[in-house]
Amino acid sequence: MAIFNGRLPVIDEKEVRRYAGLQRAEDFPEQYVKEACLEVQLEAVPRGIYREYAYDAATGTIQSDPPLIVEGSSIRKHLASSVRVAVMGVTIGEGVERRSAALFKEGNYTVGLLVDAAATTAVEQVADQINDLIVKAATAGGYTTTWRFSPGYGNWPLDVQPALAAIIGAEEIGLTVTDTCMLFPRKSVTAIIGYMPGGATLQTKRGCTSCGQRDCPSRKKP
Amino acid sequence: MFIFDGAMGTMLQQAGLKEGACPELMSVYRPEIVEAIHSEYLASGSDIVTTNTFGACRLKLADYGLAHRVKEINHAAVAAAKRAIADIKPTAQVAGSMGPTGTFIAPLGQMTFDDIYETYREQADALIEAGVDYILIETIIDIQEMRAALLAARDARASAGADDRVKIICQFSFSEDGRTITGTTPEAAAILMEAMGADVVGINCSLGPEQLIPLLQKMATVTNLPLSVQPNAGMPVLVNKKTIFPLSPEDMASYVGDLIDAGASYIGACCGSTPNHIRAIAEAAIAHGPSSRTAVEPFTAFTSRTQVVRVGHKEAPIIIGERINPTGRKVLAKEIKDGNFAMVKRDALAQVAAGAHVLDVNMGVPGIDQAEAMRHAVSELTMLVDVPLSIDTLDAKALEAGLKAYPGRPLINSVNAEPEQLAAVLPLAKRYGAALLCLPLGKGDLPATAEARIELIKEITLEAYRYGLRPQDLLLDPLVLTLASGPDSAKETLQTLRLYKEIFGFPTVMGLSNISFGLPQRPYLNAQFLTMALSAGLTAPILNPLNKTVKKAFVAGRTLLGFDTAAAEFIRLYGQEAEDVIGGSGKKDSSTTRANTITVGQTVNQKERLLTDITEATPEVMLEAICGAVERGEKEYVIELVTQALTKKIDPLVITKQGLSEAMNRVGEKFGAGKVFLPQVMLAAEAMQGAFQTIKQVLPEDTRMARDTVIVATVKGDIHDLGKNIVAALLENNGYRVVDLGKDVSPDAIVNAAKEYKAPIIGICSLMTTTMPMIDETIEAVRKANVPAKVVVGGAVLTQEYADTAGADAYAKDGVTAVQLVKQLLGDE
Repeated sequence: MAIFNGRLPVIDEKEVRRYAGLQRAEDFPEQYVKEACLEVQLEAVPRGIYREYAYDAATGTIQSDPPLIVEGSSIRKHLASSVRVAVMGVTIGEGVERRSAALFKEGNYTVGLLVDAAATTAVEQVADQINDLIVKAATAGGYTTTWRFSPGYGNWPLDVQPALAAIIGAEEIGLTVTDTCMLFPRKSVTAIIGYMPGGATLQTKRGCTSCGQRDCPSRKKP
Repeated sequence: MFIFDGAMGTMLQQAGLKEGACPELMSVYRPEIVEAIHSEYLASGSDIVTTNTFGACRLKLADYGLAHRVKEINHAAVAAAKRAIADIKPTAQVAGSMGPTGTFIAPLGQMTFDDIYETYREQADALIEAGVDYILIETIIDIQEMRAALLAARDARASAGADDRVKIICQFSFSEDGRTITGTTPEAAAILMEAMGADVVGINCSLGPEQLIPLLQKMATVTNLPLSVQPNAGMPVLVNKKTIFPLSPEDMASYVGDLIDAGASYIGACCGSTPNHIRAIAEAAIAHGPSSRTAVEPFTAFTSRTQVVRVGHKEAPIIIGERINPTGRKVLAKEIKDGNFAMVKRDALAQVAAGAHVLDVNMGVPGIDQAEAMRHAVSELTMLVDVPLSIDTLDAKALEAGLKAYPGRPLINSVNAEPEQLAAVLPLAKRYGAALLCLPLGKGDLPATAEARIELIKEITLEAYRYGLRPQDLLLDPLVLTLASGPDSAKETLQTLRLYKEIFGFPTVMGLSNISFGLPQRPYLNAQFLTMALSAGLTAPILNPLNKTVKKAFVAGRTLLGFDTAAAEFIRLYGQEAEDVIGGSGKKDSSTTRANTITVGQTVNQKERLLTDITEATPEVMLEAICGAVERGEKEYVIELVTQALTKKIDPLVITKQGLSEAMNRVGEKFGAGKVFLPQVMLAAEAMQGAFQTIKQVLPEDTRMARDTVIVATVKGDIHDLGKNIVAALLENNGYRVVDLGKDVSPDAIVNAAKEYKAPIIGICSLMTTTMPMIDETIEAVRKANVPAKVVVGGAVLTQEYADTAGADAYAKDGVTAVQLVKQLLGDE
């Protein structure tokens, strides 16, 4: 188990624009994006945690206590060559949501909307940092790693969230799961990274190309 | 030149260490195995063997329930190494290994600095007591952990009276991007370690020899300390449950010449290496011979976790941002007193964005725990900004709290010549490797002349050297007295700067604003004084980079002194600015106001002209102008136009319909066609909101625009409310009264609200598949209660089909559609 909270000295404005659906917008004043990033830097409280477990690909079982069987062909395929996994959770706290809602109430709709996009960017950045740490640990053991896979990707059902959060020990960073399997605070991520031996590589592609939502405004430009 | 040994862990596994067993415990139960491994390395050419104590600190041993056996395990390991040396190579030496604790120090992790210090201190005490020649702190990826370990090792050595016989080696582990996983560069690491008193600095593990060469070269550019390097035998691959390291002894040996040329004088190997690797490395090293390193000329630098900032007469002047200081700032002082650091963080980010290279941090609020405030502020800021900090306090406890929390080499602001001050501050500066600003103030009167100041600085400097500080640790403040204190006060400061440069050559730091105390046009005076001071030898002014006049003077000074090649920075920052504008009054000019004055494709002047034209225009032209301005989201301009239109007695209903609603229709159409995007729709909605508020202010009695009530809510179990907030904002700015019930709202609450407000429309949304069924339940509840409202549904996972099945009256695929549907359902235009 390791707690690693990550830092947010910059928020990637390009990603914020993408999440806000502004990729193809011309002439959108960058000051609004900057203001939203600043708001998120001030409000975000990044926290992260991960744990490593042995994994049995034949049965899709994470050897935690109690063991967790992952359901769904996409996660099984993703972890098909893995013998260990790291399960991770990150959150940037509830402050960003409250700030976005408050901005809407004040009539600052644009920044309110962009704060949500900047918060999404921020939580992904924090997830990237803990992901790097996991990759480093795995590499030292001679493994190659899969990209991180979250519940809801492909056909990995969201109802795994409570069990996944439990084996991550997510409550240690204040990350909980609602009865409806949503992460709280909302700007949080849980994910799994597979450790593959023998220099194996993964065929599945990460990110937008693997997603069926073709008209998504945040879809990365080819 | 010293040859280290190679891996211990893999050798232990080969000798029968079981998976999951504690490797360090082998020294206790199977010492002969550990001794044999050392012997093999010594026979292969090692000059230094590393003890089997990599994980023998309390925190790591706790994984095996062995936390109480730190001393025993470390003693046994050193004894095994010593026996091997006595047998095989009596001239060889022992390095006591201390690896990472596997945790992170807060705020990056959950441990305190003191926890980690104590863990290492216990281990270092044991190793030194057992007689090691080196403490080898290795494979460290977090600069804070290294700082704690180095302090622990130094203290253990001092308390054992072993300063002369034990050396401390600090080895970091870098990732492929050339930084530690927590962002520290080889340069930042080496500068800080040297300042904190490490004897050797270096790199081990993670990467193969080829990748370590450039990292070692970087260290060699900033330090004259001996360098050590212990690469892996390449990058490992796991095959058939065995970790294979690809580089053969010969492969490894082929890089030895380059590693020595890069500056290494201690060479060994890490994971995947064997006695054969060490033999090949030793032979290659002897064949190549030691290299002569180019001496690094001492320089002054601050470091943060991620950056190095140099300061001095050969460097471009830098800005130390002054804003994080509660003196004269009541709101900030109150926040700090209340334990609220929001403004501190805001000021930090704003100053960095405005070009500050270092941030001064002062927590001088009377009546608070300054040490705790400083610790808190420094911790928060290290997570938020990359620039180095200057710890500004006269309170020794606050100073130490700040220094301990700081993952780099900060500036201490400041120390004066009073003996108690020197005794309190100098040891802290030395201990934590900080740079120190010296202020020429003593017990007596203020030193009015440059000569008097030089005398005081001489006293401070000599005392600083006595405590082990180096010339590159010292910076000098020339003392700025207000002009009101005498006509020569500025002149004496400038003369002091010149003499400092001539006599000491140390970098110089000073706050500007004192000079203009009590005078008008302070930023202007400060700016003039700044350029004079830069010319006289000021290297790091403490100023407010958010003040445009002062900032511009700084950039101009840098350019004029030849630090801005082809004036590129000056042109970039000021090339577009009108020459007749001087913002000396401190009033906001148009470019400093909030983002909503930003125009699309128009300058303020153009718009002003347009407005003059508009006042002469026909109502049609005016309405078209309003419409266009809403479409572009130009809130302030819309407000001006609407005000004009009302003055011209254009009916507010006409303005609303033909100007504002028409604009939103156009925006909606463009949004539907994918030509305009959601943030732009919201910008238009803000402009529209501004227009409505203006009409309301002018004609509060006019109720003709009021429309029906709409209830909006995110369904029970769902905590997403962004989409709902967007719809609410758009509805409000189309004249509807919106009752926003929030998120996670039960069907009952929605039914009751619809009854209470007699709302003809209910808008509900769900963002997740897990909460979608609640859409059905809510609609059912509405129908059961015989509420006559129409239900509009939406949300990322919903579809028209789902909405139909659930019995909704309409499905909105986005916020703009939602408004159109509401209008249709109510028969509004």
